[in-house]
Amino acid sequence: MKKRIIALLLVLALVTVSGVGCGQTQSETPGEAPEVESANTEGSVEQKEELQVNPKVKEAEKVLMSQLEPLPELKKDVKIGALVISLTNPFWVGMKEAYEAAAAELGITVEVFAGSTEGDKQAQLDALDAMVVKDYDAIILSPIEPFNLQPGILRANENGIPIINLGPGVDVASLEERGGYLDGRIAVDFVEQGRKVAEDMLKYMKGSKKVAIIQGIIGAGQSEGRTQGAKEVFEATEGVELVSIQPADWDRNKAYSVAQDLIQAHPDLNGIFACNDVMALAAAEALEAEGKLDEVVIYGVDFTEEAREAIKAGRMSGSIAYPCSVYAKAALILAAKVAEGQKVQPVYAPLEVVNVDNVHEFEGWK
Amino acid sequence: MGFNKNSVEKYFSQLLLLGILLVLVCFLSWKSPFFLTWKNWRNILDTISVQLLLALGMNFVIATGGIDLSQGSNVCLTGIIMAICLKANFSVWSAIVIGILVAAFLGIFNGLIIEKIKITPFIVTLGTSSLYRGLAIIITGGMPIYSFPTAFTFWGKGESTQLNPPIIIACIVLILAVFLMHKTKWGQYSMAIGGNEEALRRVGVNVGFYKVSYYLASALMAGLAGLIITARLNAAEPTAGMGMELDAVTAVVMGGSLMRGGKANISGTFIACLLLGVIKNGLVILSISSYYQQFIIGFLLLSAVVLAEVRQRGQIRF
Repeated sequence: MKKRIIALLLVLALVTVSGVGCGQTQSETPGEAPEVESANTEGSVEQKEELQVNPKVKEAEKVLMSQLEPLPELKKDVKIGALVISLTNPFWVGMKEAYEAAAAELGITVEVFAGSTEGDKQAQLDALDAMVVKDYDAIILSPIEPFNLQPGILRANENGIPIINLGPGVDVASLEERGGYLDGRIAVDFVEQGRKVAEDMLKYMKGSKKVAIIQGIIGAGQSEGRTQGAKEVFEATEGVELVSIQPADWDRNKAYSVAQDLIQAHPDLNGIFACNDVMALAAAEALEAEGKLDEVVIYGVDFTEEAREAIKAGRMSGSIAYPCSVYAKAALILAAKVAEGQKVQPVYAPLEVVNVDNVHEFEGWK
Repeated sequence: MGFNKNSVEKYFSQLLLLGILLVLVCFLSWKSPFFLTWKNWRNILDTISVQLLLALGMNFVIATGGIDLSQGSNVCLTGIIMAICLKANFSVWSAIVIGILVAAFLGIFNGLIIEKIKITPFIVTLGTSSLYRGLAIIITGGMPIYSFPTAFTFWGKGESTQLNPPIIIACIVLILAVFLMHKTKWGQYSMAIGGNEEALRRVGVNVGFYKVSYYLASALMAGLAGLIITARLNAAEPTAGMGMELDAVTAVVMGGSLMRGGKANISGTFIACLLLGVIKNGLVILSISSYYQQFIIGFLLLSAVVLAEVRQRGQIRF
């Protein structure tokens, strides 16, 4: 008995010690991960100081804002909920920060939620269900796949909370069949992203013109759309051979092995299009280890901070950028509009191809 | 009890897997000229090194009748700790040592809760898995930490045509694991605990100490895996290692070790890892969409387990 109590105390001590340990690591992080932190602060400074904003971002903002006319009058007490995909993906972490920065600029309140991981569809729905019972004037959501949030959207419709769909699309046909509807939409044309990347890649491929595509999770809208667009262009271009399409589930480690295997199977491979930057970066690492980085053109999508550095260093060839800050702002304005009861049309976000030649124009892109 | 019968039973899983592997290798080398090249095999070995390390660690835990579901999260957290140390300008060696020490600590933590509070390993490691993953997300704020000195990335890459550190580490650990499992008291006790823990306690063995040490071993393997993937990908991210623990369990069970413990099979685990690696590689080599990958792996796992189980039942006449 005594022994047991001692053991219990020991474990408790361990837990406390580990807790303290974690606390320390956490507080040390800002100093110790300078790249991550500086990237964030850079972004928020640019949000506040209009003068430093990249001209391309301003252009994109103009295009989006013109679609949003007439602009609503923003009352201070407007409270908007935003649901993103996962806070373990740098793109969505950036989106969360962009929402918060844009809300501060517009003088309204936004609260951002997310599912636990990129694959957990139920957790994202649970988050939406919890949001629906709160007092938001509107909810902006970006679903993991076209169907997982539909039950939550139906509940929001019943409660009279307007729903805006940003980015990855909700399947409207099946939603309407179930008696639900969206109040507004900011769409990204994923097929167009794939097409644009493929066209740009062709300009830079000087060798065998053999290309491969690394997909995300099978069935995910972004992945399927980008693949479809790129496939169309590759197949329609004479002399280009699409040798393989392999999924790597948005996973860095899987993408690394896939790229390794691809280069074995096709030693004269000339181009890889990865459906996001994380996988493109992994492909670059794999090809570098094989000593083939110079022969293969690698493109990704999202234009994350890490990708920007890789393109500058010539490790990646290009990516597709769509500015989070403008997106978030447009979404909040749209949400405020529908909250006022205005009817709105779907809004399309502009896309920009970034490559080794124009990457310098994208300084401070956020 | 015939000795011969026993040894056939003992090697049945390995023989079965080896058979499938041979068929597959013949088929793939007939289909593609690139398959049977050294470069491709080096690739396969490079790819399976991480899974093999985790599966070897898992093997000792499973031999006791336990399981370590926190391996994947441990891989991730270890990598992140190393990354943070490197970004704080620690030397490469000290970063690696600190990372591995953290991994060891996480393993001992698992083992102590399981042994001292007597909670099922499944529940404990399920909990710590989420705990460690959560820590990783909190520490990084969801963002990857990337770009390390080449002295560190060396551990995941090395020359493209030669044996690289991951393969060498995996080979050393494999040999060590075979030796430990079959030639030392430490290894034998893991199976004895899975077979009859109470009996072992009665003869005066400090079962608790040994149990904790197996979770420590499993965690050390996770630490090495964390080093390898962080160095290989030149990035540490909070989603790294997700699901790796289940891949390890797949290899262990497919290789003929029993989930309920008492019987462990290191060489079977190795062959299973190799087979899984060849399947994944083969699909890409043949440009077959990996829509089929999940199905094939599930099918093989079930067949291997069902066949081994049916054979065993036949022998002990259920």
